[in-house]
Amino acid sequence: MAQITDKTKDEVREIVLDFFAEECEIELDEISDDSNIISDLDGDSLMFLELIEIFKKKYNLNIELKTIGKYAVKNPVQTIGELIDMQLLIIEHENTILDL
Amino acid sequence: MINKTAFIFPAFITDYTGKELDFLNENKIDFADYLTKASNVIGFDLPDFSYEYDKYKNNELLSQIIAYLFSCTISDTLEKRNIPTHFFAGYSMGLYAALYSAKAITLTDGVKIIKSAYDLVNKLRVSGKYGMGAIIGLSIDDIESLINKSRFETEIININNKHSIVVAGEKNDIQKLLLNARDEGALSAAELIVNTPYHSKYLLKYEETFSTFVNELQIKDPVCPVISTFDQREIIEASEIKKELVLNLTRKINWYKTMQKLIENNVNEIYECGAGKDLKKIARFINGDYKINSIYK
Repeated sequence: MAQITDKTKDEVREIVLDFFAEECEIELDEISDDSNIISDLDGDSLMFLELIEIFKKKYNLNIELKTIGKYAVKNPVQTIGELIDMQLLIIEHENTILDL
Repeated sequence: MINKTAFIFPAFITDYTGKELDFLNENKIDFADYLTKASNVIGFDLPDFSYEYDKYKNNELLSQIIAYLFSCTISDTLEKRNIPTHFFAGYSMGLYAALYSAKAITLTDGVKIIKSAYDLVNKLRVSGKYGMGAIIGLSIDDIESLINKSRFETEIININNKHSIVVAGEKNDIQKLLLNARDEGALSAAELIVNTPYHSKYLLKYEETFSTFVNELQIKDPVCPVISTFDQREIIEASEIKKELVLNLTRKINWYKTMQKLIENNVNEIYECGAGKDLKKIARFINGDYKINSIYK
């Protein structure tokens, strides 16, 4: 189980915001924790998947996509803030996230 | 390495960017003129286009025609701008716009093909028994296992990329499969807004009739190769286009391999000729040294 430090939190936030700003072709200051991923940012599940791949590589995570999918069904995310929280949980718990 | 360009064409429009009409206006392309030409072919007046008009999203015929017309207009714009291309590829029914862009068929012939295919599969569609779905986040093996385990009358009919797969078959089974896929850990599993199981075994019985129709069309050799989504061969002759039109409607396709074929051919610059950005989104998990240019700035 990885330790989530303030540095990790900052890194994850920066990656998520930069990713959406680039993908959605908008300025960083147009995205907030309350931004709805689908209605405000035109996000989709492939974008979510790409973010997961980025974090898997960066933090060398041992987690199956299916595990994340099962977790997401029970804990759906709608906003950027919720997405950041979920990414932190994935980094922290990896394949045991379903035990939460 | 020689840099090459490809034009790719979507079959449908999930979401408009909202910039499409402005883009055409800026390039002095009159979309209403294309709508009129299409109306003359199908025998009724197509409604004026607006982004909010639901029938252009929910009606199978109108959604295909509007996607085709946007693709043709955007292709015409790129031609006016003298943007060269070396290959064409059309995603599913996007083939028709690819053939128009490749100068193999006329604008109105493309509409005739859409209408003919639509009429041909009318029985399947109106029965309400069939459908399609898209699953994201499960592997091919996972999905085949779900299908086989429950003996669903469904099949994988297209692979978009390594994480996105399209299924078609009997609607009830599609719905059950999508539910099972979610339980299995799919990040998304959603029905598509169609009542025709395109590219599935249910279309096979229409091959001969559609082939007869296609053989009556005046089709020319394409100006550049068109990549088959059926077997990824490079099509350079009219006779092969006729075969491809039939295969593209009635057989499984593979967009992932089609994009890989473009990349293998040193294509590193791709233009999505269509409304929305669906093919750009799908390309997220297709690796290679290429970029998809957005025409909407």
